[in-house]
Amino acid sequence: MSNTVVKIASLIVMVVSFIAYIAGASAFPIASENLLPWSVWFIISVVVNIVVWSSVMKLLTFSLAVIWFYAFVAGLVPESSTATGPVTALPWEDPDAVAEIGAAIFNGKGQCSACHTVDASAPKGRCPDLTDIGVNAANRQPGIDAKTYLIESLYEPANYLVPGYGKIMPEVWKAPIALSQLEIEAVIAYLQSQGGEIDPTPYDEPIDRADAGTVAAALPPLLTGDAALGKKVFVSAACISCHAVTGIESPAAGEENQDFEVVTAPDLSEIAAFNDMRYLEESILKPGAQIVSGYGAVTVKTDGATLQGTLVSQDTEQIVVRTKKASGEEEEHTLLLTDLDEEPIEELTNLQANGYFTLTLTPTDADAPVSGEIVDETEDTVTLKVGDSNQTLSKTDVKSLLTIVDFDGNEIVGSLVSGSMEDDEIVLNVDGSEEVIDTFDIEEATFTRAFGKKLLVTSPMPENFPLLLSVSDMSNLLAFLSTLTGETASAEATTAADAEASGE
Amino acid sequence: MRQHQQPRLDIRSVACRFKKPLLLLLPLILFLLLQTLAPAVAQDMSEAEYRPFPKIGSRNAAWIAAQLHLLFGSFILGVPMFAVIIEFIGWKTKDARYDRMAQEFIKLCMGAFSTTALLGGVLVFILIWCYPKVMSKLSGIFGPTMIFYVVLFFGETFTLYLYSYGWDKMQGRHKGWHLFLGVLLNVFGTAIMFVSNSWLTYQTSPGTQYGKLSDATRQSWLESKLSQNPGMTQTEAMEGITDATVIPLHNETTGEFLATVWEAVNNFTWMPVNIHRLIGNIAFGGSIVAAYAAFRFLVAKTKEDKAHYDWMGYTGNFIALCGLIPLPFAGYWLGREIYMFNNTMGINMMGSLFSWLFIIQAVMIGVLFIGANYYLWSGMGRIDGAQIYARYRPYMIAIIVICVAIWMTPRTLSKISTSSELSAMGGANHPHLGLFGLMTAKNTAVNIIILTTFLSFLFYRRSGKSPTASWKKVGNIAISSIFFFSAVSIIVIGIVGFTVPTDLRVNVLTPYQVLIALAVMVAVTIIDIFMYRKATMSGTIKWGEMTDRSQYVLILLAITFTSLMGLMGYARSGLREAWHIFGVMQDTSPDAFTPLLSEAVNIVAIIMVIFFALVGFIFWLGLWGEKKKQQTVAVESEGEH
Repeated sequence: MSNTVVKIASLIVMVVSFIAYIAGASAFPIASENLLPWSVWFIISVVVNIVVWSSVMKLLTFSLAVIWFYAFVAGLVPESSTATGPVTALPWEDPDAVAEIGAAIFNGKGQCSACHTVDASAPKGRCPDLTDIGVNAANRQPGIDAKTYLIESLYEPANYLVPGYGKIMPEVWKAPIALSQLEIEAVIAYLQSQGGEIDPTPYDEPIDRADAGTVAAALPPLLTGDAALGKKVFVSAACISCHAVTGIESPAAGEENQDFEVVTAPDLSEIAAFNDMRYLEESILKPGAQIVSGYGAVTVKTDGATLQGTLVSQDTEQIVVRTKKASGEEEEHTLLLTDLDEEPIEELTNLQANGYFTLTLTPTDADAPVSGEIVDETEDTVTLKVGDSNQTLSKTDVKSLLTIVDFDGNEIVGSLVSGSMEDDEIVLNVDGSEEVIDTFDIEEATFTRAFGKKLLVTSPMPENFPLLLSVSDMSNLLAFLSTLTGETASAEATTAADAEASGE
Repeated sequence: MRQHQQPRLDIRSVACRFKKPLLLLLPLILFLLLQTLAPAVAQDMSEAEYRPFPKIGSRNAAWIAAQLHLLFGSFILGVPMFAVIIEFIGWKTKDARYDRMAQEFIKLCMGAFSTTALLGGVLVFILIWCYPKVMSKLSGIFGPTMIFYVVLFFGETFTLYLYSYGWDKMQGRHKGWHLFLGVLLNVFGTAIMFVSNSWLTYQTSPGTQYGKLSDATRQSWLESKLSQNPGMTQTEAMEGITDATVIPLHNETTGEFLATVWEAVNNFTWMPVNIHRLIGNIAFGGSIVAAYAAFRFLVAKTKEDKAHYDWMGYTGNFIALCGLIPLPFAGYWLGREIYMFNNTMGINMMGSLFSWLFIIQAVMIGVLFIGANYYLWSGMGRIDGAQIYARYRPYMIAIIVICVAIWMTPRTLSKISTSSELSAMGGANHPHLGLFGLMTAKNTAVNIIILTTFLSFLFYRRSGKSPTASWKKVGNIAISSIFFFSAVSIIVIGIVGFTVPTDLRVNVLTPYQVLIALAVMVAVTIIDIFMYRKATMSGTIKWGEMTDRSQYVLILLAITFTSLMGLMGYARSGLREAWHIFGVMQDTSPDAFTPLLSEAVNIVAIIMVIFFALVGFIFWLGLWGEKKKQQTVAVESEGEH
């Protein structure tokens, strides 16, 4: 009798504690002290059930215990939710509260934390670390304050790219992330709170959501170009010389181009499967706008030698460049960025845009040159990271070096003291002593305002397609490209193979 | 002498005879009715965007119904696949045991079939009631496929009934036709799954960017042109639009679907999900059958019953293993396609929102492999002459445990570490163990686990047999070399994977690892089959002499499979986040977010309890019917005596 009571009681406790655990009920019987959470009740009752019951009930107990165990283990690991709730208004009277809302969106619906870290000690992620972005944003682009920079970065992330990172960030106001203006404002407040001051000033969105919708609706939804003609354009405009498309015969090789390797440009066999028409159009009209990783052209100098080829990969310390010899043989060179040669710079303008990442210059009021990594640049100044600190230097108050080559081939390098090529003589300071040079003896004179290491990645695709292609060619080409989803090519290949097999 | 009597039509006996099929048909009719009416009803109710489901909420209601439907569906699609194969083996070997087992499998399937249909009907009802706009949208795009689905469903239902009820009558010379029915049943079942998969995969990855115009779009284009230019002729309006003209799949502003239905069906994740589920169904069906056999083994009273259910359990587990081994490969393909469709979605899956879910997945798959191996080793205990392989067991256990540990290693520890721990590690990754958190290490580990499990199975297969082939020594050396060099190659490729760009690793190195593992299994199986073709039996398998513990392992495997399916269902749906159709139709309901993992596992636990309760009830019904039949036969035979 007592055995039956124990059996039934333990069974009831097991079922009740299982339900209570799953339902997240508060602990029983001493809820406030949490002495016996339902998980403990459950484990005890499972043990008792396994001891007192036999066969079928033992089996059921075991099954329930396994189900509970997985729920328990999964409940122990860290978890995230995208639940932020609709943002209908922002409490600007308390900027920290706005930043908190922004943090929730940053880590949730906005999906920012999938790629960005806010932890200086974290390893390099897919996108830049945002520690102190509230301060650093003000230094990123000349003449642009922190808030404007952040607004631009969220609405049109391709506008400003941090060196070393590609164009992978989506426009967060568009689907699928689709943040509202209020949500973006909250994220900006959160980013400003990272080391900076939250600026509650309202702003106008740099895009027009309604207009974007109207434009999209007004666009003719059909690609009315003829894909078959576009295919001919693809071959006649020599796209096929560099880009592979499965199933299209290459005139150069005289065979199906899946049989040989085309390495100069990306394979386009599935290009339309992953990219929309705007991207395709931009790639033709502005090839350099977005360069596919591993296909950028680069020219670097190291140990006096110039290497020209394809940038295969790049990280913060080294690059891999693939070059091709005249014989067609390819070679890969791994170069440390520190091993690149410094190149003379005549004009200190648009340094970063021209690919310079280090700079060595001598301020007019200094004796020794200053050298460092370029952190920031404005029209008049350049900020270098020298050691652990940043130094902002004027671009105009810089000692210039003049390299003079006379008709005998002799080279004299020194800082200019006075004179110009318009005068009869030029005075140079060479190693502390002044030298007077007659301008009639000079064959070549070069001003060097600074030296810098340069890594400029460009698209190897020619930029004259808008001139080469008529509007109808362009339309046909786009229509053809939009059919390259992978299936078309394979279907064509199959058809061709079938035709060949049947002797057609 | 008995007199011949004129046959008389007895309505009651006819009604009794057809009562069971009619009862089974009832939920089917309900399901089909709802399926057929779905588009119309959804259209009528489209004014309301959402309706709350009482008490548990719309999302939970749809989640529970969908997952239960999927679990039962998986079972009834998986079981006929191997039932037909087993029946075929029985037919060819003329071993009646196989035929009996295959029939028993189909009986289990019959019980679950009507429940699947009923749950499908409930799911459709919940979806139409709670999400009328979503259903209206989906039925607007997939209308033609829904009609096709209904046709297939009729085909599957009647084929299953014919296959099951005709089993005893179609023995002997009709066996070939019976097998044909079995194959046809599988064709219908697979097609039905492919069609329904297209609906849900479209929600996750709604097509490529461009597709061919649908007739409706062509017509609306024409009408809009003519309304803008009243003097224009139809030919002028359609100038330049050919069969090759393509169009963006969705209107960017309204989300309206513009292309043909095939473009929606053939989306990024459709075929990977089809293949993943096809293989998964086999594994799941096998594991549930094995669990059923384990239950019958544990409650069996006679030696014969124990022997039969031991054999059935072994077969079920073998089938589950056959499905389990290629599953990670299919899963890898699916994951890759998700990355290809949307990089952010892929990052969310493996590196952000769901990253820890995949650690739990690793725990569960670890349990599956360890459990499956344990069962095989346990089974070798009942085979004379299997002891020679026992010496390898500790090493194999060590390999599997180490590999599972690697698979379970998280990459980023920031969410579970204190700031002092983080600074001691010098970042969010452990300086040494963090390497195991990378995919190259995990892929290597899983391939080694698969090879080790395959080796366990090879030992099991060889137990109690002695090869007579003259080249057996050379064969064994060849097999050992294949295992050794392939394992070394997989590990070397894994190490190289740390040093190469992601593209190269994902597209070249990992597929090579997979190909090596698959090639090993094919090559070794071929060599082994030829080597043991005329093997002499050095010991017999003592069916029924398995430990009770091993039967609990079979039940553990079935529960783990079910849990895994539940959790992966959460991941697949959760990836859409606040979208009914990703990037096209936004979820504006109160549930427009991905729930926490702890909430999800609780829902999955509830689903599991309901599923096993229902399965238990269905199996019990079958058992009860069997007992009653046996009693009737016993009483009748007593009466005759």
